[in-house]
Amino acid sequence: MSLSLKTNKILLLFIAFLIIVGIWQPNVLMDGVQRGSMYALIALPLALVLGILGVLNLAHGDFLTVALYLSYVLYSNINMDPLLTMIPVTIIMILLGGGIYLLTVKYVVDEGHLNQLLITFGVSMILIEGVKIIWTTQPRNVFTGYAYSSFSIGNYSFGSYGLIYLLMAVVVLVGLQLFLKKTRLGQATFAVGQNPKGARIVGINVNFVYLFVFSIAVGILGIVGAGMLPQHAIFPSVGSPFSLKSFALAAMAGLGNLNGILFAGITLGVGEAIVNAIPGYSSWADIVFFGVLIIVILTRSFREAR
Amino acid sequence: MKKLLVISLALIFVFTFALNTVNAQDDPIKIGAVNPLGDITGRQSTNAMKLAVDQINENGGLLGRKVELVVVDSEFRPEKGSAAIDKLATVDKVDFFVGGMSSGVHLAQIPTLKKYEKITIWAGAASGKAEETMGEGNEWYFHLHPWDYQQGASYGRGWTQIVEKNPDLDVGKVFLAYEEGSFGTESYKAYQAMFNAAKDGEGPFSEIMDDFKGASFKSAAAGGGQYRAMLRDAKEYDPDLFIWAGWEADAIPMLGQAKEVGFEPPLYVGAPPGWPQGFGNNPLSDGVVLYGMWAPALNEVSEPAKEFWDAYVEKYNSEPATYFAPLGYTNIMYLAKAIENAGTIEKDELIPVLQNTKYESPLGSTLEITPSNVIENQGFTDQKILQYQDGKQQVIWPFEFSTAELEYPFSW
Repeated sequence: MSLSLKTNKILLLFIAFLIIVGIWQPNVLMDGVQRGSMYALIALPLALVLGILGVLNLAHGDFLTVALYLSYVLYSNINMDPLLTMIPVTIIMILLGGGIYLLTVKYVVDEGHLNQLLITFGVSMILIEGVKIIWTTQPRNVFTGYAYSSFSIGNYSFGSYGLIYLLMAVVVLVGLQLFLKKTRLGQATFAVGQNPKGARIVGINVNFVYLFVFSIAVGILGIVGAGMLPQHAIFPSVGSPFSLKSFALAAMAGLGNLNGILFAGITLGVGEAIVNAIPGYSSWADIVFFGVLIIVILTRSFREAR
Repeated sequence: MKKLLVISLALIFVFTFALNTVNAQDDPIKIGAVNPLGDITGRQSTNAMKLAVDQINENGGLLGRKVELVVVDSEFRPEKGSAAIDKLATVDKVDFFVGGMSSGVHLAQIPTLKKYEKITIWAGAASGKAEETMGEGNEWYFHLHPWDYQQGASYGRGWTQIVEKNPDLDVGKVFLAYEEGSFGTESYKAYQAMFNAAKDGEGPFSEIMDDFKGASFKSAAAGGGQYRAMLRDAKEYDPDLFIWAGWEADAIPMLGQAKEVGFEPPLYVGAPPGWPQGFGNNPLSDGVVLYGMWAPALNEVSEPAKEFWDAYVEKYNSEPATYFAPLGYTNIMYLAKAIENAGTIEKDELIPVLQNTKYESPLGSTLEITPSNVIENQGFTDQKILQYQDGKQQVIWPFEFSTAELEYPFSW
C-alpha cells in the first residue's frame, strides 16, 4: 500500500510537471515528450541487458549506429521506405547481437564489471571503425515526405513524426512486459535476472537466456534505428552519445524498472527542452540532464538509507 | 707510391661525387602530402594530387626528373598530423610539404614545419589563429585557402554586389545560428565584429547590414540535433538572411525542423565546412545558399575546371564532390609550374618564383600570391556564393563565374 502511495505521488508529480510545462510553453512540452520518448526507447534494451545479464554494454549506441546504416542501405539500394526496413534490419540486428554475444560478451558475463566494460568498449571501437571503413565519415540522410510533417493547435505548430517515438516506446515496453510475465521464456528470463544461480539449479538454461536477451536487445535497436532514420543524419559516431544517456536513464529509473525508463526519459527530455528554449542557455542542457539524474539518485539513496 | 695513392683517392672522390650527382639527377622530386584519408575531403584531395602527379610524369616529369607523391594520413588528429611532417622529413626525405585540412591539425603541425623550414604549400586550414601561430618572416610558407577573416570580407563584398544587382533584395537583418563548439562560436564572434563595424560604417557589411542576432545550438555531430527552439527564436526575429554555422550532420535535420516549425526566411544560408552525401538530391535543399570555393557548375564557365573534372572522372570513375579536390590539384600544379619556371628546386631560388607564379586553377579563379594580415604568401582570398537549384550547386557570385541568377525568396 505504501509503495502504491509512493508510486501514485510520483505519477501525480510527473503529470503536474508536464501540465505546468504545457501551459507555459506547449512547444517545449511537445519537443520534450518526443525527444524523451526517443531516449527511453533507446534506453529500454540497455536496461534489459543491464537488468538480466548485469552487463553495462558500452557498445549500445554503436549497435544503434549499425542499425541506422543498415536501414539506410536498404533505403538507398532498393528504395525501401525507412519504416519498412524495420523488419529486415531487426532480424539482421538479432543475428548480429547473437554473434557478438557468442564471440565476446559470453566470456565476461560472470566476470567483474571491469572486464565487461573493456570488452564492450572493444566491440564499440570495432563497430565504429568498421562503419568508417565501409561508409566513410561523411554524413548521410534520407528523404521521406512524412518526416517533417506538422500539425497546428491554435497558434502552435508541432512536428508530428516525433510522436512515433512515444508510440514505439509504449509498444516495446508493453511487449517486453508481456513477454516477461506471460511467456515461459520470459518468466525464465525474469528468474535469471533475479537469481542466476538459483535459476541454473532449477534447470533453466541460463546461457541460452543470456544469448536470447542480448540478441533481442540488439534487435530492438533495429526497430529504433529504422524509426530514427527519417529524421536523423547518420555518421559513424551518431549513436555513441546515446550509450551514456541510456545508462543515465536506467540508473534514474532504477535497475530492472522498465516502466520507470519511459517516465525518466520524458522527464529528462522535457527538462532538456526547457533549457533549450531559454535563449543563450542551450549548452546547459547536458548539465541539467545529468544534474537531474544526480539529484534523483541521491534522493533515492537517502530514502533507502532511512 | 705516394703519388699513386693520391691519384687513386682523387679519382675515387671525383667518381663518388659524379655518381652522387648522377643519382641526385635520377632521384624523383619528392612531395610529401598530409591529408585525412578517412574523410571525403582528404580522400578526394589526395586523389586529385595523384592525378596531377600522374599528368606531370606522363609529360616527362619536372626538370627531367620524375615526381613522387608520398601521402600520410593525418586522421584529422593534431598529433598524427604533426608526426606525419616528421616522418615525411626524416624517413621519406621529401623536398616539399603539401596538404592538408583542419585548422586544429594545422596548429599542431606549424611548430614541426618550422623545425624543417622546407617549402610548404598548404591547401586548407582557415583559422586566423593558424596564421598568427605561423607568424611573420617565414617566406618558405605558402597558404592557399582564404583565411576566415578574408572569407567574411568576401561574403560582405558578394552580398553588397548582389544587393546592388537586385534592388528588391534586402539582407539588412541577419540571424546567425551557430553550433556551441569552437567553430560555431568563432563564427559568431566574427559576425558580431562585422556587425559592430557595420554600425560604425566600416567593414565589408557596412552598406547592407542593419541588425544582427545570434543563437547557439548543439550540433547533431556532438549528440544534439534539436534546433526547434532556436528556429522558433529565429522565426520570431524574422530575419532577411538566416545563416547557420555548424557541421554537415546538421544540414538536413535543421532544414526539416525549420519546415516543421514554419520558418521560411527569404534567404537560407548554410556555412558548414562540407555537406552531407547527396544533399543536393534532397528536395529540402532547393534554394539553400552556401559558401564555397568551387562548384561543379564551374565547368560551364571555366576551361581549367572542365579539364580537371573530365580527367578526374576518367581516372577515378567518380565525380569530385568537394572543393578540396580541385584545391588539391591546384596545390601540386602550382608548385610544379613554379619549379618549371625556376628551373630548380633550390629553396632560395624557388621561393621568389613561387611568389610571382600565377596559376589558372580549376577553382575558377587564378591563384596569385599576395601578403595577408600576417604571412607574406597567401593564395586565394575570396570564397564564392553558391545556391542549390534543382539539385545542382550554381555559382551566384562572383559574377564573372556566375552560372545562374539568385533564386529569391527561399520557400518550401
